[in-house]
Amino acid sequence: MFGLIKTWKALEAKGIMGINRRNADYVLKYNKRHLYPIVDDKIITKQRAIEAGIHVPEMYGVISTEKEIEKLNEIIGERNDFVIKPAQGAGGDGILVIADRFEGRYKTVSGKIISHEEIEHQISSILTGLYSLGGHRDRALIEYRVTPDQIFKSISYEGVPDIRIIVLMGYPVMAMLRLPTRQSNGKANLHQGAIGVGVDLATGVTLRGTWLNNKIAKHPDTTNAVDGVQLPNWDGFMKLAAGCYELCGLGYIGVDMVLDQDKGPLILELNARPGLNIQIANDCGLTHRAHAVEARLEELKAKGIQETPEERVRFAQELFGHIRPAEV
Amino acid sequence: MRSLTLHLKVLITLLVSLGVLITAYQIFIQGIPITEDATDDLWNIDAKVEFVANPRDPVKVQMFVPPLNRDYVSLNESFISNNYGVSINRADGNRRVTWSARRASGNQTLYYRLVLTKRYSGEKAKDKGPIFRDSIAVEGPEKIAAEALLAPIRQHSADVETFISETIKRVNNLNDDNVKLLLAGDPSTPNKARVIELLLSIAHVPMERVHTIRLAADQPQSPELWLRSFNGENWLYFNPESGEQGLPSDRLVWWVGDDPLITVDGGKKPQVTFSLNNSEMNAIRLAKLTDENTDADFLEYSLYGLPLQTQQTYQIMIMIPIGVLVILILRNLGGLQTLGTFTPVLIALAFRETQLGFGIVLFTIITALGLSLRSYLEHLKLQMLPRLSVVLTFVVVLIAVISLLSHKLGLERGLSVALFPMVILTMTIERLSITWEERGGGHAFKVAIGTLVAATLAHLLMTVPELTYFIFTFPAVLLIMVGFMLAMGRYRGYRLTELFRFKAFLKD
Repeated sequence: MFGLIKTWKALEAKGIMGINRRNADYVLKYNKRHLYPIVDDKIITKQRAIEAGIHVPEMYGVISTEKEIEKLNEIIGERNDFVIKPAQGAGGDGILVIADRFEGRYKTVSGKIISHEEIEHQISSILTGLYSLGGHRDRALIEYRVTPDQIFKSISYEGVPDIRIIVLMGYPVMAMLRLPTRQSNGKANLHQGAIGVGVDLATGVTLRGTWLNNKIAKHPDTTNAVDGVQLPNWDGFMKLAAGCYELCGLGYIGVDMVLDQDKGPLILELNARPGLNIQIANDCGLTHRAHAVEARLEELKAKGIQETPEERVRFAQELFGHIRPAEV
Repeated sequence: MRSLTLHLKVLITLLVSLGVLITAYQIFIQGIPITEDATDDLWNIDAKVEFVANPRDPVKVQMFVPPLNRDYVSLNESFISNNYGVSINRADGNRRVTWSARRASGNQTLYYRLVLTKRYSGEKAKDKGPIFRDSIAVEGPEKIAAEALLAPIRQHSADVETFISETIKRVNNLNDDNVKLLLAGDPSTPNKARVIELLLSIAHVPMERVHTIRLAADQPQSPELWLRSFNGENWLYFNPESGEQGLPSDRLVWWVGDDPLITVDGGKKPQVTFSLNNSEMNAIRLAKLTDENTDADFLEYSLYGLPLQTQQTYQIMIMIPIGVLVILILRNLGGLQTLGTFTPVLIALAFRETQLGFGIVLFTIITALGLSLRSYLEHLKLQMLPRLSVVLTFVVVLIAVISLLSHKLGLERGLSVALFPMVILTMTIERLSITWEERGGGHAFKVAIGTLVAATLAHLLMTVPELTYFIFTFPAVLLIMVGFMLAMGRYRGYRLTELFRFKAFLKD
């Protein structure tokens, strides 16, 4: 009991945010319920992003009824690789990544050969809501397949590593790189066993990481060090993330982005309830940073100023950046 | 707590204070017992009336019975008599029962039984009484003796109360010649009362005789005479033997006035014997028993006013918030993962029908089988809705089989799976299946265990009889609970599990 109180106090001092605080002070306060569909439905998110001029993987087409499954060939056209996703899927479930095709058959990333019927069945499963958040009907989205940048080759296992940045009222407050592992089946979700690696906001250099709630310094599959990697085009990522506030109007979001080797930073999806493990990845609490942003907002409100995304990024980088990784 | 806005604080304060006030009012003002075992004395008074009826004459027996407008409440009153008509009438604050019969002969026995208790009397009606009376005419030596007695009484008294006390004391002084003369050699209490009345009437102080029964078990007794006088506000009661003022609490007023307890027309040798005994009874049941002529209003607007059938339903329903509270605490403070908020409460309610141990076993087996069927069906690549339908149908069949088997094996338990637990089971399996689809088996397993733990705890708490009684009797407690829930709605501290989850931070 006494030990627990000590733990509590220590976490409090580090400014670690718990679920209750996240829900009460941030999610409930800054995220209006009627805006959730914008982030819950990837198709709407994409459309909004395109309108706002924010880079996203190109959308080839949408299938929303069983009848429309016939249009699949038309949508794919001559392309050899593409991704089929449920619009309202959660946790990366139901995503089918096709890397190649030959003789009317398709090859997935993991090398499995599947037929056209199986793809159609997959789409029909998506439509019935098998992967959607509440089990209600859904739409299938066919889009550009991201090819991860070569920089991640040494520290990733299959799948596409992505970058998650927590954005509070348009200010990036914390970032991490999520690396798939063998255990996570190529998925970048931490609770499925992916690695989270903290990223310095100012420079885009990776810090040490977290894996299954523990701190780590090496990728368990490739055994390469995950820290000290310079992510390219970091300022572009930061600007993309900061601009997502204008895009969806939600004040507290997790922005998931990828680095495509041809197209650079792209927005994959937005999350209205970003998880808390990013704190372990960065070895730093969210609370203090969030309070700093809130104080800044108060200050600006008094002056009646609205900052542009660039200004917000600069503010966040100055205040939260340049973290020297702790010595092991 | 910075997080509690003023608005919320006011609301919480309001709710909690309202709840506390109402509950306190019920406990302290209305005197509702806090626990179910609080009991009350219950008095059972039997008056046995015996007389010898004259043959060929119609019989009419009149007897006073307690008016019950004082601190007593009658729970049950019965007149036991063969072939007699019974009627009751009220007159001058007394109640009188009249037994009548056309023909009767020989020894007759009639019974009057009253069950009463000393509680739940509401506001007393304003007392009214005479404050002046004409003197009783006396002549000769009596007059002189009376005046000789009155002179010192007047000197030694200040008001009506002390005047009466003083008079009674004087009359009880049997060595006084004046008293001897007035009593004329009969020192019995009624005779003393007669003399006291005479003396008081000369001073124009009215006085009434009060006949009381003492609430003492298993003692043969006859009505005891007391005197009372109205001082303009209250009736003052006096013991004619000692002049003490005030009626002891164990006395029950049977009737007031100068008439005898019983009069018999068409019969002779009337005799009334009283026998009393007391028992204890659950206070609330007692209050429920009190009949129409009492003031147990507090039950009028409580849940006890509902028909019994409905009451039993509400006794279960009113515990649901307790269950929800348990889940709330476990989730938001403990960090336990459950299937939604209400599902564990529903399962806890289902345990009520299946019993806890059996319920847990059943729940586990059926859920496990249902989920394994689900994972088998996954290979068939069925769509979600048809797959769930198959699972749910399977669950129903499974429950039917279990019921059948346990019945054949002579276990009555299996049959306790009524409609309600079954619906909840299928619902749970459905939700678990969806969780499994979305978050994987490990998570589903964690959630299932969490749900079971939460449901068990909630069930245990919801079935504490004392708690059920308390909340059912004092529903305002729920307001206090709502206040707590509102405060929990702004709780921003860590959950217990987070203390372990974030332990990695502290390993430096």
